[in-house]
Amino acid sequence: MGTFDFLLQGLMVAAQPMNLLYALIGVTLGTAVGVLPGIGPALTVALLLPVTYQLDPAGSLIMFAGIYYGGMYGGSTTSILLNTPGESASIVTALEGNKMARAGRGGPALATAAIGSFVAGLIATMGLAFVAPYIVKLALVFGPREYFALMVLAFVTVSSAFGDSALRGLTSLFVGLTLAIIGIDQLTGQTRLSFGVPDLLDGIEVTTVAVAMFAIGESLFIAAQGDRGPDRVEAVRGSVWMNAADWARSWKPWLRGTFIGFPIGAMPAGGAEIGTFLSYATEKRLTKHPEEFGNGAIEGVAGPEAANNASAAGTLVPLLTLGLPTTATAAIMLAGFQQFGLQPGPLLFATNPQLVWGLIASLLIANFMLLVLNLPLIGLWVRLLTIPKPWLYAGILLFATLGTIGANPSVFELGMLLAFGLLGYVMRVFGYPIAPVVVGLILGPLAEQQLRRALSISQGDVTVLFTSPIAAVLLVIAALAFLVPLIMRARGRGEVLTQLAASED
Amino acid sequence: MKHFFLASILAGALALPAYAADYTIIAPANPGGGWDQTARSLQTVMQQEGISGNVQVQNVPGAGGTIGLAQFASQQKGNPNALLVGGYVMVGAILTNNSPVTLKDVTPIARLTGEYEAIVVPAASEIKTMADLVEALKKDPGAVSWAGGSAGGTDHIAVGLIAKAAGVDPTKINYIAYSGGGEALAAILGSQVTAGISGYGEFESQIKAGALRLLAVSSAERIPGIDAPTLKESGVDVVVENWRMIAAAPGLTEEQKAAVEADIEKVAKSDAWQEVLKTKGWQDTYLAGDAFEEQLAKDISATEAVLKDIGLVK
Amino acid sequence: MTKGTHPSTQTRRPDWAALTIAAVLAVIAGLIFWDVSRLIGLAGYSQVGPTTVPYAIACCLIGLAVWTAAEALRGDFPERDHQEIGPAAWIVGGLVAQMLLLNTLGFSIATGILFALTARGFGKRKLWLSVPIGIAFSFVVWVIFAKLLQLSLPAGPLERLFF
Repeated sequence: MGTFDFLLQGLMVAAQPMNLLYALIGVTLGTAVGVLPGIGPALTVALLLPVTYQLDPAGSLIMFAGIYYGGMYGGSTTSILLNTPGESASIVTALEGNKMARAGRGGPALATAAIGSFVAGLIATMGLAFVAPYIVKLALVFGPREYFALMVLAFVTVSSAFGDSALRGLTSLFVGLTLAIIGIDQLTGQTRLSFGVPDLLDGIEVTTVAVAMFAIGESLFIAAQGDRGPDRVEAVRGSVWMNAADWARSWKPWLRGTFIGFPIGAMPAGGAEIGTFLSYATEKRLTKHPEEFGNGAIEGVAGPEAANNASAAGTLVPLLTLGLPTTATAAIMLAGFQQFGLQPGPLLFATNPQLVWGLIASLLIANFMLLVLNLPLIGLWVRLLTIPKPWLYAGILLFATLGTIGANPSVFELGMLLAFGLLGYVMRVFGYPIAPVVVGLILGPLAEQQLRRALSISQGDVTVLFTSPIAAVLLVIAALAFLVPLIMRARGRGEVLTQLAASED
Repeated sequence: MKHFFLASILAGALALPAYAADYTIIAPANPGGGWDQTARSLQTVMQQEGISGNVQVQNVPGAGGTIGLAQFASQQKGNPNALLVGGYVMVGAILTNNSPVTLKDVTPIARLTGEYEAIVVPAASEIKTMADLVEALKKDPGAVSWAGGSAGGTDHIAVGLIAKAAGVDPTKINYIAYSGGGEALAAILGSQVTAGISGYGEFESQIKAGALRLLAVSSAERIPGIDAPTLKESGVDVVVENWRMIAAAPGLTEEQKAAVEADIEKVAKSDAWQEVLKTKGWQDTYLAGDAFEEQLAKDISATEAVLKDIGLVK
Repeated sequence: MTKGTHPSTQTRRPDWAALTIAAVLAVIAGLIFWDVSRLIGLAGYSQVGPTTVPYAIACCLIGLAVWTAAEALRGDFPERDHQEIGPAAWIVGGLVAQMLLLNTLGFSIATGILFALTARGFGKRKLWLSVPIGIAFSFVVWVIFAKLLQLSLPAGPLERLFF
């Protein structure tokens, strides 16, 4: 049987009414748990996986796929509506999405996220099916020096999340980089900045920082506004659906986000966040509405959300072809696959085609179900904003701490949650952007380790950093991304840019 | 990766109803890893064999197990129902982290299982045998880059021992630490490094697929089913076993200790445990009593020596 | 967040809060220098060792501290809205209470108190009402996550009463 026959067969099985129902249940559960602030996709998949054990293999695989995509998508909802991303990959979504929600455009923001996720999931799942072996070869070409170049590029583009002040953006970034040093240095095993506290030896958990600075910091900030803040957010202004202009402005970011997110997700050291950073920066550079960025530009939701979901499918490439889990979510999925007798590795596509194609068909169906479920729900989700503030924020804090307690019920971890929550609050008061802290915390160690590995392998020869073709191309792009705006400004064509830089908020 | 819940849930689902707890097993690592799996398997076998009505597993992750170790030693003192899973990685972590609590502060009961290190090169590599690798290492130790798990871990120690046995200065090895055997795998497959070292299980499917060439394994004798010489046969007198053990709390009476030892022996000799070893691909290296304590002391001093040689421990 | 009028820059006095930030940044930089100086260089074959990057970050932090101080002295920092510390303090109190009570009183009671104190911060003054509501809600959450989904959440007297 050829590739297509397997896929068709898989789709036929998956499209049986009973299996469609399982897919719907999986997506519903995944979305319901994934939507809780502080509970990211890894935790969602882990919590819900046992639910699938009760079913027959086909139904179980389908429900599992539904939970995975549901959990991946769920995080964006609270990100957009409440500015409280439950995980690092939807931080960028909050930047523009929450501004849209505050302006009563939460509906279109959620819709572009849902449809973007669907488009990206569809393309990336097909990519997984047909080009996985090639993508993985490309991913393996990425050695330490190529990763280092990619990190340089990511660092340069991060500045687009800086907000209005270079000083405060950079300060935030360096706070994140400082936090990233804490713990055991992976390459020499020595401890840095842990001051003899054993709980700090493994470093600071990104999830803890993200949940604390966003969910708790935001709650504190809103509370400290007292009665001045709008008592109730206007949930819907204009249509709850996307209008023609929204569509016109969304479809390109969806596609670009997909093509950025999928390959980066497929790289063993890529991860979902970097794709969302790069996508956001790309959209900000390419947009025809630069004045809207920072105030709720729909492109800034569409691109990163597509990138996020495409990288979720990309993660499956090294997982299925190399047996290599590259994220926490993937590690949990690996265990899930083993439950289905699917032993990921280089021989998987050859020895177990039915299961692989069954999985891919399930992912496609689940992706479709996600759209079916979530589009009608958008009207309901935006009503979240009409819950009276005391109960809404009490609930947010409950779930934000739940995720941390479930991972590690230690007083120390909760203390860190509180400390970073306070830091997030103070930074908001003084107008420091929050996202660069998390970005620094994620990118810092990656950049440092890859640089040191590259130099160690070359025995200290610095030229290797530039001589690999891929690294060279990435560095050139980074240099252009850095220099072009400067030159534009210098030549007086960057009035918009300068205006933007000068205006506050 | 604290959100590594799956195994806990998996086992939780298997462990079904909650009776009064007999044993509590502390796995000083995140769910999903080797120690956690060992703890979960012990849990299942103990309940199946009726050794203990109900067994609970608790994860206390962090810093190569030393956080769990420290907590176990202080909180469970004198509690005959508390067990701790540990292993060779802990020996190294105690030394490199300068942990104030060591294995002397708990009561080691028995070694249960172990995994051997595999030395691999990419299939396209010019290096065909372990002897080739040793020769390259002797010629220019810096030119041979090794990818393996975290610094000071079993993989790193094994490379140090290999260099020492080959007469190469262990401080000169060019060891590239990755967060685990899996991440190192990508670097080896991509020919970013000269050679790779990790537990055999990490490389198994790639070796079978022909993407990696297995040069040697670190066991004392050849392992049935694995087509590769031992390091010893290849002229490098090194045996490294990444063993896992079970320990009891400190401050137990002789009778209490004997009771735990008897229970663990029952587990190790049970059919259910043998079945677990087979399905997980673990080697049965059960060793208890004085023989184990002797072996442990030997391992600790050898590890300390090599970590000093590498320069990780002052 | 800084909706409002642009401050006129000429007449502003030094911004003491912003100067404090500059000082904190400098202290962090000093802390990095102090902590990292005791590491063994141990770069192996790479010139970039475990100390290089921390030193670079520390140097940048000092630069940022100077920059922040300069902006603070010129009064370039955006004007801040008046913050009401009271409501935020209720929430912080709730988080502290949860942290301290979690392992003795269990998830439901500790989190219920956090829930009620947060609601208090947002203006729900009737604690006699919101504490029971919070505990009941947290208990339902505990049952769903700890019993149904097997997440390990600490149990206390209330949970043991039922399970």
